[in-house]
Amino acid sequence: MTSEAQAVTRTVAEVPLTRRFGVVWWGALLASGALVLLLGYTLVSVTLVGVGVWGINVPFVWGFDLINYAWWIGIANGASLFAAILVLRRHDLRTAVNRFAEGVAFFAVICAGIFPIIHLGRPWLFYWVFPYPATFQVWPQFRSTLTWDFWAISTHAIVTSLLWYVGLIPDLATLRDRARSRAVKRIYGVFALGWRGSVRDWAYHQRAYRLVAILVLPLILIMQSTVAFEFAVTLVPDWHETRQPLHFVATGLAQGLSIVLLVAVLLRWGLRLGPYIDEGDIDLLGKLVLASALVSGYLYLDEIVSALLADRIAQEATFNRLTGDYAGLYWTAIVYSILIPQLLWFEVARRSTLACVFVGFSIGVGIWFDRFSIIVGGLQTDYLPSIWRTYSPTLAETGLFLGTVGLFAALLLLFVRFLPVVSMFETRHDEHEEKSS
Amino acid sequence: MTERPYGIMAEFDTPDALMEAVRATRRAGFTRIDAFSPFPLPDLAEELGIRTSIIPWIAFVAALIGAGLQYGSQYWMNAVDYPLNVGGRPLNSWPTFIPSTLIVAILWAGAATLLGLLVILRLPRLHHPVFSAHGFERVTNDRFFLCVLGEDPLFDNGATRDFLEGLSPLAVREVPA
Repeated sequence: MTSEAQAVTRTVAEVPLTRRFGVVWWGALLASGALVLLLGYTLVSVTLVGVGVWGINVPFVWGFDLINYAWWIGIANGASLFAAILVLRRHDLRTAVNRFAEGVAFFAVICAGIFPIIHLGRPWLFYWVFPYPATFQVWPQFRSTLTWDFWAISTHAIVTSLLWYVGLIPDLATLRDRARSRAVKRIYGVFALGWRGSVRDWAYHQRAYRLVAILVLPLILIMQSTVAFEFAVTLVPDWHETRQPLHFVATGLAQGLSIVLLVAVLLRWGLRLGPYIDEGDIDLLGKLVLASALVSGYLYLDEIVSALLADRIAQEATFNRLTGDYAGLYWTAIVYSILIPQLLWFEVARRSTLACVFVGFSIGVGIWFDRFSIIVGGLQTDYLPSIWRTYSPTLAETGLFLGTVGLFAALLLLFVRFLPVVSMFETRHDEHEEKSS
Repeated sequence: MTERPYGIMAEFDTPDALMEAVRATRRAGFTRIDAFSPFPLPDLAEELGIRTSIIPWIAFVAALIGAGLQYGSQYWMNAVDYPLNVGGRPLNSWPTFIPSTLIVAILWAGAATLLGLLVILRLPRLHHPVFSAHGFERVTNDRFFLCVLGEDPLFDNGATRDFLEGLSPLAVREVPA
C-alpha cells in the first residue's frame, strides 16, 4: 500500500537510510579527511611555533589569515542571506535549496571562525575578548572591531545552527519512523526529540522558524559590514573608505549564491535529486548568480570612481592594486567573478551541470582573489614608502587554507549522507498544494 | 471499571478528510481534541483556535533584554568601571557600541525564540502515549490523525469510538494511557 505522498519523499529519505555509500562518496571523504589532517597539522604548528611560520611581516600584518576569514565569512553570509530571503518571500525554491543553503552557511562559519582565533598569535587566550571579570581587572575595548567580530561570529554560529536544527526536527522524525534498524531508529529518534506532528506543534514551529529566518537577514548585513569595518576603520589609505561595507555585502552575496549553485548542481547530480531540485530551480538560481555578479561588477566600477574622487594617496594606493605588483590578483578577480558568470546569460549554460559547476567555482575563486587583492594589495602602499615590500604566503598558510576547504567538504559530505538535504515536509506540503489547486 | 485511555485515534489519508473530521468532531461538542499531520496545516490550526502570537513577543522581549544588556555592559565597562581613553574619544562612544548591541539583540531574540519553542512544545519528550497507537509512525509520512482525548468531558469509550467510525476514517484505534 504505497500512496503518492509517501513516494514523494522516498528518494530524499532513502539517502540517509541506506548503507551503501558509493565509491565517489568514500573517495571524496578520504580526500577531504586528508585535508582535515593537514588542517590539524598546520593549526598545531602555528600554535606551537607562532605566527612566524606565516609569511606576514610589517606592513603585512594580515595575510592568508584575514583573506580566508573574509572569504569564508562571505560564503556563510551569502548563503544565509539567500536562505532568509527565500523564507521571507515564501518562494517555491525554498523547499529545494533552503536546507542546504543553511548547511553551507553553518559549515562556512565554522571554517571562518578558525582564522580570527588562530591569527591572534596566542589562540588559547581568545576568550579575552569576552567580557568576564578577569583577575587583572580590565575589560575588553569595545570600540574595537575585533570585539564586534567576536559577537558577530558567535551569534551567526549559534543562530544558524539552532535554526538549521529546529528546521530539521520534523524530518528527523520522518527518518526515525522510516528507519529499518533499531539502532538507526534510536539515533534519529533522540535527535527528533519526540516530534509527533501535532497541528498545534506545527503552527508554533512554523511561526518560530520563519521569525528567526527573518532575524538572520539584518544579522548578515551587520556582520558582513563588520568584516568590512575591520578594514575601513584603519588608516590604511586603500581601506579607509565608507564604501567598504557595500563592497563586502555585494561580493559576499555573489559568492554565497555561487557556492549554493555549485552545491545544488553537485547534489542533483550526485544524489539523483532531479525531481526535488528541478531544472527550474537551477535556472532561477543561475539567474540570481548572474544578477549578483552584475551588482559586484557595478561595485568594482564604483571602486575606481571612488578612487578618482579620493585624495592623492588613497588614489595611488587603489591604482597600485590595479597596476602594481599585485595587479594580477585584481584582474583575476574581475575575470573570474564578473566576466565568466556572463555565461549564465545563455539558457543552455544555466541548464548544464558542467557550466554551473564551472561558474559557481569561478566566482568562488574570483572573490578569493578579490579579498587577496584588497588585503595584500591594499596594505602594500601605506603612508611610509620605506616599508613598501611584498608578501607571499608560506606553505603553513596554504596548508591552513586547504585544510579549511577540506573541513568544509568533509562536513558537507557527512551532511548529505546522514541528513535529508531537501526539506521533506515542505516538499509534501507543496505537492499537496499543487494537487488541490 | 477500566482506566480511561489517553484517547481514541482516527486515521485519514488526506488533509481535507482530516479537516472535515475535525469540523464534525467540534460540532459534536468535543473540546479536547488533537490533530496530527505530516506537514503544517495552517487552516486546520486556525480551525482549532491555535494562536501563536506569543512567538513574536518572546523574540521582541528577548531582543530588548539582549540589546539593553549589551549596550549597558559596554557603557559600564568602558566608561564607568574602567574608563578607557582611546585617542581622546568620548568615553561613551555610542556609534561604536551599536554594531555589537544589534548583533547581541539578534542573538538573544533568535536563541530565545527557538529554545522557547521547545519549551512551548514540551520537547524533548521521547515517549508519548500517541506513539503506541498502531500505524501512528506514518504521521511523519503520509497519514493524518485525529485524536479525541480521554480527558474530554463528553468522552465515552464506546460512543466516541462509534462517532469516529462514522466519519469514514481508514481506521480507528484506542490509544492506551
